[in-house]
Amino acid sequence: MTASIPPVGAQRVRGRRLRTRYDWSAYLYLIPALGFYLVFLVRPVVESLWISLFDWDGITPASWVGTDNLVSVLTDPAIWNALGHSLVFIVFYAIIPIALALFVVAILARVKVRGLVFFRAALFVPYILSSVVVAIAWRWIYALDGPLNAVLRAIGLGSFARAWLGDFNTALPAVGFIGTWVMFGLAFVLFISGLQNIPLELFEAARIDGAGMFREFFSVTLPSLRGEMRVALVLMITAALRNFDIVWNTTAGGPGSSTTVPSYFIYQEAFTIHQVGRASAIAVLMTIFILCVIGLVMWLIRDRSDSVRVRGTR
Amino acid sequence: MMQSSVRTPHTRAGRRRSRALASIAVCSAALLALAGCSAPGGTSNQNSAIKDPITAPVTAEQVKALGNITLNVWADQGEQELMKSIVPAYEKEFPNVKVQIQFKSFNDLTATVLNAMNSDTAPDVTQGNQGWATDGALVKAGLIRPLDDVVQAYGYAAAAGAAASQLKWSSDGKTFGSGSFYGMSPDNQMVGMFYNKTKLASLGLSVPTTLDELKTALAKAKAAGEIPITLGNSDKGSAMQAFSVVQGGMTPAADTVGWVTGKSGSDFNTATNKQALDLWASWAQDGTISPGYDGTSPDDAVAAFAKGSGVFYLGGNWQAGTISDGSTFGFAPAPAGAGNTAASNGSFGMPWHISSKSKNTLAAIAFIGLINGPDSGHYLADVNRVPVQLNGVQVADPMFTDLINASKVQLANNGALYYYDWSTPTMFDLFTSDLQEVMAGKLSSSDMLSAVQKNWTDFQAKS
Repeated sequence: MTASIPPVGAQRVRGRRLRTRYDWSAYLYLIPALGFYLVFLVRPVVESLWISLFDWDGITPASWVGTDNLVSVLTDPAIWNALGHSLVFIVFYAIIPIALALFVVAILARVKVRGLVFFRAALFVPYILSSVVVAIAWRWIYALDGPLNAVLRAIGLGSFARAWLGDFNTALPAVGFIGTWVMFGLAFVLFISGLQNIPLELFEAARIDGAGMFREFFSVTLPSLRGEMRVALVLMITAALRNFDIVWNTTAGGPGSSTTVPSYFIYQEAFTIHQVGRASAIAVLMTIFILCVIGLVMWLIRDRSDSVRVRGTR
Repeated sequence: MMQSSVRTPHTRAGRRRSRALASIAVCSAALLALAGCSAPGGTSNQNSAIKDPITAPVTAEQVKALGNITLNVWADQGEQELMKSIVPAYEKEFPNVKVQIQFKSFNDLTATVLNAMNSDTAPDVTQGNQGWATDGALVKAGLIRPLDDVVQAYGYAAAAGAAASQLKWSSDGKTFGSGSFYGMSPDNQMVGMFYNKTKLASLGLSVPTTLDELKTALAKAKAAGEIPITLGNSDKGSAMQAFSVVQGGMTPAADTVGWVTGKSGSDFNTATNKQALDLWASWAQDGTISPGYDGTSPDDAVAAFAKGSGVFYLGGNWQAGTISDGSTFGFAPAPAGAGNTAASNGSFGMPWHISSKSKNTLAAIAFIGLINGPDSGHYLADVNRVPVQLNGVQVADPMFTDLINASKVQLANNGALYYYDWSTPTMFDLFTSDLQEVMAGKLSSSDMLSAVQKNWTDFQAKS
């Protein structure tokens, strides 16, 4: 590790020279993007934080309530209930699609498949479809007289037929599975492109060393896909935690409150009940929560290549 | 590389990072100052003076004095058919005005109308929705003009009768059901019973007029292998409306209306409401109500009923657009209970409001005057909606005759119950979610009723 880094003194000299030449003009190029970022991303975030400290209906003058909104959100069992559903969605939106995609990729690493390009495109389609379209299509699939129940009845499992989105026991997994269907294509495409970047020599070396399918997967494929996995997890966990469109268009949080999610309450509070302060408080807390979860995931799958190399040279 | 630079902050990367942090801190502070220094929300614009008060219907000459203008209107998409006849009639009478309408779905309209009316480009005329969440918020923010003078000039108050309370607010928006008129609505919408005439006849039944007769009919239908009640409740609100047919037959309508409009001391957690809820839940559990109702959309359920699935559909008269075949289907008001009470959810359609910011107030008054005026009934009847003002309305269609008669019976009996969710801004969510749970046997009726009453008490204490 130390060998690859030039002496500190040398770097400083070079750095100083570079700075006198480039620094300020380089920052000029950043201004458009930075300005856009500040106005359309940072400012709304800061404003939400500010609004969350007020009791405000969105129109008439607001009154300062300090952290009352944040406390009322944190002590609201309905919000915790909704957060629990979001955690279930992480399983369906991130863990299951990644596991499935890894499984398929592990097979593809050993078996040549004709028409891979076609499959890759076809499996990616759900991800680029409008979520409202996806939701309406699945509402039809899950309906009492929809195709899913028709298949069940045709194979003699008619007793399992039900209105999948209207049943307290099945609504949450049914909504979650839509996420699995959408996200699988993304994970698959990411991992396939990652797989193609692994040098063939690694597989050859592993096979010469007598590695079987499992050993090859865990020693070569999986570690090489760490970068892709990180991207996939960040995208999918974020999608799971801020899920609103699919829930709103399939169950609207029902039956009862069995599929509510925090974003559902943000929408309700902001647009139906006109409690903009409390809506902002939920949004702020959700943002912090998502950042924490993503940070944890990034840390868990951080690049450990340095330590691997050290161990290798020992 | 990165790791080493973190550990040795004297490198360029380390300094750059601390400089970046500093600039982020400066920027955030500046943004906080920019966004933050003042509390959100403008100054309250309570208009105490009423713009352009009138004493008689607005004339074409008065509107002509405004010059060539455009009248901007927001309306629910359900108004499209009616506007096809209203707008040409209006533009013919007031040729210097061009009407421009934006149609919105109900959810879009109620979610955005408050901000739109508060903006500098507020529409002159919009539809709202009765209750605290939309109309109450519009009145409280001073965004709509009181219409007491318009209601008098166009003879609307007499036709609306006691049901006018749903359009009245105190000028601070804190009292619902009394005060000034803030909206006008031309049609009466009510929940009642659609029934399949053919099936009732083959079961040897007549149209039930009491709750006991309804129970007998449902039991007979179930025994004969029919679906007694078709229901689609994926929107969560449909079961609430259907339940009102039972609740209205057991609890006096005046009690429910008082509770909905926030009359102090009202209570929803009563023995009769518990009986109603228990009866309704038993129908959901014993198969009297069509299975899978929570996973079926109301539109699908109505379409299935119109194709012959089910003996009764408990729902709004606005579904007559789909259940339109008067030779097979009929519509009746809610049946009467033991205390001779008979009522169900219902209200006038979405009320029309005039922006207090409008520069064309007289043209706006003329527009909603044409929709709600004494001679407007035929425009509504032409599109199968039940007018409040019935002057000169000719009816031929059998289904539409049923709708008109049911409306007359309902208004003559106890009137409409309005809707339970008008009572507080959060009631829709609570009532509909809990009702789904009670119907599924996951929550007791008494737990639901005490939660509903607690929500009501908390809201009343706050406002």
